[in-house]
Amino acid sequence: MTGKWFIKVIVDYWPMFLRGAGVTLYISIIGTIIGAMIGLIIGTIRTIPTSDNSLKRGFLRIVNGILTAYVEIFRGTPMIVQSMVIYYGSLLVFNIDMDKMFAGIFIVSINTGAYTAEIVRGGIISIDKGQFEAAHAIGMNHGKTMLYVVLPQVIRNILPAIGNEFVINIKDTSVLNVISVTELYYQTSSVTGNTFRFFEPFLVASIVYLVMTVTVTRILRFIEKKMDGPENFIVIPGNQMQVARPEDVAKKR
Amino acid sequence: MDNIIEVRHLSKWFGENEILRDIDFTVKRGEVVCIIGASGSGKSTLLRCINLLEKPSGGEIIYHGKNILDNKHDVYAYRSKLGMVFQQFNLFNNYNVLKNCTIGQMKVLHRSKEEAEEVAMKFLQVVGMDQYINAKPSQLSGGQKQRVAIARAMSMEPDVLMFDEPTSALDPEMVGEVLNVMQGLAKSGLTMLVVTHEMGFASEVADRVVFMDKGVIAEEGTPKEIFNNPKQDRTKEFLRRILRENKAE
Repeated sequence: MTGKWFIKVIVDYWPMFLRGAGVTLYISIIGTIIGAMIGLIIGTIRTIPTSDNSLKRGFLRIVNGILTAYVEIFRGTPMIVQSMVIYYGSLLVFNIDMDKMFAGIFIVSINTGAYTAEIVRGGIISIDKGQFEAAHAIGMNHGKTMLYVVLPQVIRNILPAIGNEFVINIKDTSVLNVISVTELYYQTSSVTGNTFRFFEPFLVASIVYLVMTVTVTRILRFIEKKMDGPENFIVIPGNQMQVARPEDVAKKR
Repeated sequence: MDNIIEVRHLSKWFGENEILRDIDFTVKRGEVVCIIGASGSGKSTLLRCINLLEKPSGGEIIYHGKNILDNKHDVYAYRSKLGMVFQQFNLFNNYNVLKNCTIGQMKVLHRSKEEAEEVAMKFLQVVGMDQYINAKPSQLSGGQKQRVAIARAMSMEPDVLMFDEPTSALDPEMVGEVLNVMQGLAKSGLTMLVVTHEMGFASEVADRVVFMDKGVIAEEGTPKEIFNNPKQDRTKEFLRRILRENKAE
């Protein structure tokens, strides 16, 4: 009986599952990318060294206060509650009728941003002080040091943690069904409404979720390997002049 | 000879501890100055104060006639004119050898990629690392890393090249290759400021040797004066100790 229903659910409703999976992936990809960018920017601001200029120092303190509040609020409340507050709140208080898809991406992004801000901060702290000093010593300011030397290393190091966030996002977009975003969970609920069966549609949904998360994990592992580059390097054979080593020069003298 | 850097009454405090006290010190164009002294005597701190990696607590640093401790002075432009070679190499881990030598030229001096690579190759040849331009820092030995670090600093074509104990983190058999490169640079007329424990290098290459003790310059003079005929008792004591250690090795 269950097996028959399982097949029937797939055959009759596969377009709904596919559309739901598409929306889920779309929201989680964009949300993770925007969230990671928010995290990188906040992490960079929070590690700016304190200035001697008291005006700059005061300004930085205010900005840091706001950022800390942001991180605490969005890490400290459930996403399902935030969805309700943001979606219905914006309608009630500001009279903004948000597009549901936009609302979904917005909520996932700022949530991911709050978590990655801390991941990035940890990543920046873990970079050897010598890297900063070497960049400063050749005349780079904080922005250039971050952009060209520190953040590329941070991004490589935090990629596994960002991948984690991505997988969490794929699963957690399911809470967006409370504001009727037509992602996979919402679509599955619709299928149960049509068929009056609960087990089979959700079994299909769980398989789809699993396939998505496993695939994403594999792709990220591949990207990590790509970023590390080849394990060996090619020695450029030089002409006679270039092969001369200081030792050889010293010997000739 | 004109003064490139003139340090006047420089002092540095770390909390309650006075690390440098009333340092007066000049570097002239084309000069090789070696700073020697026991660990904790403040010689590395002096170097780091000169390029503002540590903020001096008082005094002046005059560079080409201007006090760079003035708030208005562009710290970043100043630093780009002072090369620095670190004890721990500090090559940029995310770039290969060539990019390590070009990134500063491109992003700070705004040179084109082609020009930057040409300059970098010139100095990588000088240090004998031009065959390894594709290697990442993690794939190199300590001596190779330090030679690349020297090429990176030279690629910025600095007024002064400063070395902060460049051979102290190296295995003994690699010290020679780095000292050879440094000796070559000194002969080429480059202005160099070297904090070192290599007394052989200091006596052979330096034009002037500065001995530091407990945060002050205790004695300075030509290598002959310092090594053969030191005036101060603490200089004598330091040299005796160092020579004994070297013999024990």
